[in-house]
Parts: sequence; C-alpha cells; structure tokens
Amino acid sequence: MNLEKYLPLTETTYYILLVLLEQGHGYAVMQKVEELSDGRVRIAAGTMYGALDNLMRQKLIESMPSSDPRRKIYQTTEEGRHVLFMESQRLKHMIDIYNRLQGDI
Amino acid sequence: MKRFKIFYDFEKEEKYLHDMAEEGHILKKYSVFGFYHFEDTKPQNLNYKIDYRIFKSKKDFDNYIALFEDAGWRHVYGTQNSGNQYFLPMSEKAGTDIFSDRISAAARYKTLYKLCMINFVCFLFYLLVTLLSVNGDLSKLTFLTPGLWERTGKAFWSAFFFELPFVLFRVVPPIFFTVVTVLCCYWGTKAKKVYKSSINEVNDYE
Repeated sequence: MNLEKYLPLTETTYYILLVLLEQGHGYAVMQKVEELSDGRVRIAAGTMYGALDNLMRQKLIESMPSSDPRRKIYQTTEEGRHVLFMESQRLKHMIDIYNRLQGDI
Repeated sequence: MKRFKIFYDFEKEEKYLHDMAEEGHILKKYSVFGFYHFEDTKPQNLNYKIDYRIFKSKKDFDNYIALFEDAGWRHVYGTQNSGNQYFLPMSEKAGTDIFSDRISAAARYKTLYKLCMINFVCFLFYLLVTLLSVNGDLSKLTFLTPGLWERTGKAFWSAFFFELPFVLFRVVPPIFFTVVTVLCCYWGTKAKKVYKSSINEVNDYE
C-alpha cells in the first residue's frame, strides 16, 4: 500500500497518531494532545470525531475492545506507525535544512 | 410552536436558533424537510452548534455523543439518521466551537452535499423506472377507463370516483419524488458552493 499519499500530515492528525501509540478513547486523546503541546493545540470535539473517523477509514488507527460500551478505544495501527515515522523523518529533514542554512549565514 | 425553514448554511442556522432562543423559543426537535419544533420559555443566550453526520450503527452514534459530552457539549437534538446534530455547551471546557479548524468545519458541507447527490441519483433512477414502465407515455398514469370522458352525468361520476384513488396512487408518488429530486439537487448544489467558498477561504489565508 502506498502510504506516501497521507503525507504531509496535519498537526491534528500527527498528534492523534502519536498519542494513540498507546490506546485511548476520544476525549483522552484530546486531553493528551493539549498536554503534549503545552496547551497550544486544542482539538475541538467535532474536529476530533471527524479526524478519528477519517483515520479509521484510512486504517491508520483501529478500534480495540472496550469495557465502556459508550466509548470506543482506539490505537494506531502498523500502517499508522509507519506514516508517523515517515512524517517525523520529513519534518526532521526540514529542520536539518533550516539549521544548515542558518549556520551558513 | 412550529416553524418551517430550510437552511443549507449551518452558520446561518446556528444564528437563527440563537436568535429564536433570545426571544424565548428553545429548540425541542427538528424533523426532516425543515420543521423546527420550539418550546416557549424565558429568553436565553444559547450558543448552538450544528454538525452534520449520519451513523452506520447505534454504537457509533453513542460513541459520538459520549465524545461530545466528555468535551463539555450537550447533544440537544439529532438521531442516528437525522444528519443534523445540534449541540449546546454545558460547561466552560466546551470552549466556543465544536470545530477547531476551518477544514473540519467545512467538511460537514461536503457530507451534506454527498448525501444530497446520492439521494438525487436514487430518486432520478426511480423516476426513470416509472417513465420506462409506461413507455414514456405519462397519460397512462392518469385515467384509464375507456371512453370515460365521453360519459356524462351519473355514469361519468361513478366511474370517475371509482378510478380516482387508483389515479392518485399512480400520480402522487412520481410528482412527490420529482419535487424531492429537484430539492435535493438544489440543496446539494448550495451546500457544495458553501463548501468550496469556505475551502477557498482557508487557501487564501494560508
């Protein structure tokens, strides 16, 4: 499967995939993203549901058995991990170029 | 109190519900084709937010509502298949909107547009089948009693009223679905327009 087509990730998607390396339900992801980004990224409920729905369809996350019948538990899939890795490499490359060029000046 | 109103712009609909609440009319129920049921109470300042979504299962629907509740939004009205989902903030943590970026706010127009187009194609198919079933001769849907229009007096009226229910049965559904088909097409096109313009807004901004 061609995973390149999912790149670049939006900030929302990047954080969701990252947080869901450990399984959790929707609201837990919202809180964790806010915490990880030092309160800079706040995903609202409608945006969050839409993003989870899309990621499920793209099979980058999957739903796990949940003890709470009302709250689905999600986790990043193998493909999701791979996409996340590719994105982090892409971003790293961009930061490296920036540092190199800034160093030259 | 009931009101009939059709919106294809969710932001205008949110504003309408907000204005109604300020006059003391609180949304109780929304039924398809634009009927709003209001309950009269004291005027309130309510920040209604509308999402557009239908769900494959009851479980998906419950999961959706649970996520909004956890985030501080009360689901005011909406069913698994109603499309429109109405929310009100119930605590500080809800913030001011159910969307945190323009793209996801615009995505609801895309969902609406797609559903309209699916319905449009289905209804069009139905009308086509109806048309083919009479070999394109629409008069076959009306009165079929031979020589009906030459009759007069009691003979005419008894034959007329005898066949009338059958005629209505043949004619009303195609007319009804023609209207619905046109409305679907109109609604879908409008939704697409709002979607395109909000996406362009994002691109201009970037």
